[in-house]
Amino acid sequence: MTNNKTYILGERALVIEIAQTTLSQQQQNKLFAMHTWMRQQKVFIDIVPAKTTITGYLMHSQDPDYWLQKMQDAWDNIEPEQYQPRTHEIMTQYGGESGPDLIEVANLLNLSPSQVIELHSSQAYQVKFLGFLPGFAYLGELDKQLHLPRLASPRTHVPKGSVAIAEDLTAVYPSESPGGWRLIGQTNMTLFDHHSKTPSIFQPGDIVKFIPSKESIC
Amino acid sequence: MLKTLKGGIQACVQDGGRSGYRHLGVSQAGVLDPLAMHYANALLHNEDDCAVIEITVGLCQFEFKETTNFAITGSDLGAKLNNKQLASGWRYSATVGDKLTFSSSKDGLRAYLAVQGGFRLKPVLDSNSTDLQAGFGGLTGNALKDGDVLDYNRKSPLPSVGAAQPPYNKKIRVVAGPHSDLISEAQFKQLFEQHWQVLPQSNRMGIRIDSKLDLCHKQSIPSQAVMPGIVQLPPNGKPIILSNDCQTTGGYPIIAQVIEADLRHLSQLASNQHCSFELVTRQDAKKALIEQQQHLAQFKIAINNNDKNLI
Repeated sequence: MTNNKTYILGERALVIEIAQTTLSQQQQNKLFAMHTWMRQQKVFIDIVPAKTTITGYLMHSQDPDYWLQKMQDAWDNIEPEQYQPRTHEIMTQYGGESGPDLIEVANLLNLSPSQVIELHSSQAYQVKFLGFLPGFAYLGELDKQLHLPRLASPRTHVPKGSVAIAEDLTAVYPSESPGGWRLIGQTNMTLFDHHSKTPSIFQPGDIVKFIPSKESIC
Repeated sequence: MLKTLKGGIQACVQDGGRSGYRHLGVSQAGVLDPLAMHYANALLHNEDDCAVIEITVGLCQFEFKETTNFAITGSDLGAKLNNKQLASGWRYSATVGDKLTFSSSKDGLRAYLAVQGGFRLKPVLDSNSTDLQAGFGGLTGNALKDGDVLDYNRKSPLPSVGAAQPPYNKKIRVVAGPHSDLISEAQFKQLFEQHWQVLPQSNRMGIRIDSKLDLCHKQSIPSQAVMPGIVQLPPNGKPIILSNDCQTTGGYPIIAQVIEADLRHLSQLASNQHCSFELVTRQDAKKALIEQQQHLAQFKIAINNNDKNLI
């Protein structure tokens, strides 16, 4: 059993928290299995996985204590295998105008640009959670050799589709926005469409792979 | 239709907000004062969550291009119809060419404007709320600009009628947050013993407040789901009360949460004003919300009775 705590946040948000700063893959998958279980209960208007927590917003505030206990019981019995991720392949053009920070990233890491591309695109990532912008997925874990802090001064305009890295995570900007992550490539796939019933391609727990396009600068 | 002659500081279309998409990073948005929206809609026999225009500060002007009835609720921002003064919490009728203007007030920050039958809008992700950060919803995804036109169906004039809206308070009730033990017990107690000043950087995403109390710290928490009403304490010690347009997750410690019944008071906190906090229990919070719902239900009975031969 994993070390966790549960509590009511405000009047009707219920939180399960794994009391650790980073989760094992097993714990991470258990959170996503919990997401599936919570959806099936039909009492939550929103269910939000985050770094080490999952939060459910009850439709009504009548009985938070009852549902908190139900969540704890479910957590104790749930198996990490009870969730089915989808896999997405993101065609990415690395470097040049598409990835204006690639050269600097390579220099800072004592790698060649092609090594950065190789390291970034040779592994599969998991959507840990979404936030910051509609459809902005925090993808982890980035290879240790690619860890860098955010830019000291954030850009005011990061183009839509920018593929970026920061610390132990990577992400794709689903729309133009300000941002402090380092831009190493770009995709022309649309990740978030507010006109669609299923607006985000990425769902919590999904698997993401980056495929370098032939035009990528190596 | 309703033509925007002047958009003013910020007038935007809002309803009860967006739910069901938070896990995809989509903010709640929606009216900051749900009760004001509910009263406006009740005065017009609209559905509870029918979209209204939320007016911040004022200084905006509209022209009615079709006969209808409309209601103004929230704070009194000096609304006038063809230069005739209107009262907040009342329903009025307007005819073709009538001009509705708002000035501003030092006592209030937000007013709400609803028309009978509601505006004709295309919902985005099941809501007509404008998400100003993401740029979708409402009419164009933005605040109303000069020349923007909102469609509605023509309605016959009804007699004026008013509702006594519950007053706004600067004493905000909160329940304790999960990370309140991050600060000392003495500091936590002090949160409730002083006045907080609203800082100018406040907006629909959050209200920043400050006091003489030193609450600086060096803690952060793993990003977790956040929602309107959460009181975050960033390392600089100046709390942020999250509001409807806040992001869906946040990594600052949560020291308190404004009770749902009191979220409406936050909608009227203007920069440089003062507010204070009162610590209550979850049971108190529930009771306050039920009282508010009963108040609204009684008002609906009264208005239906009043208008029974008209609608």
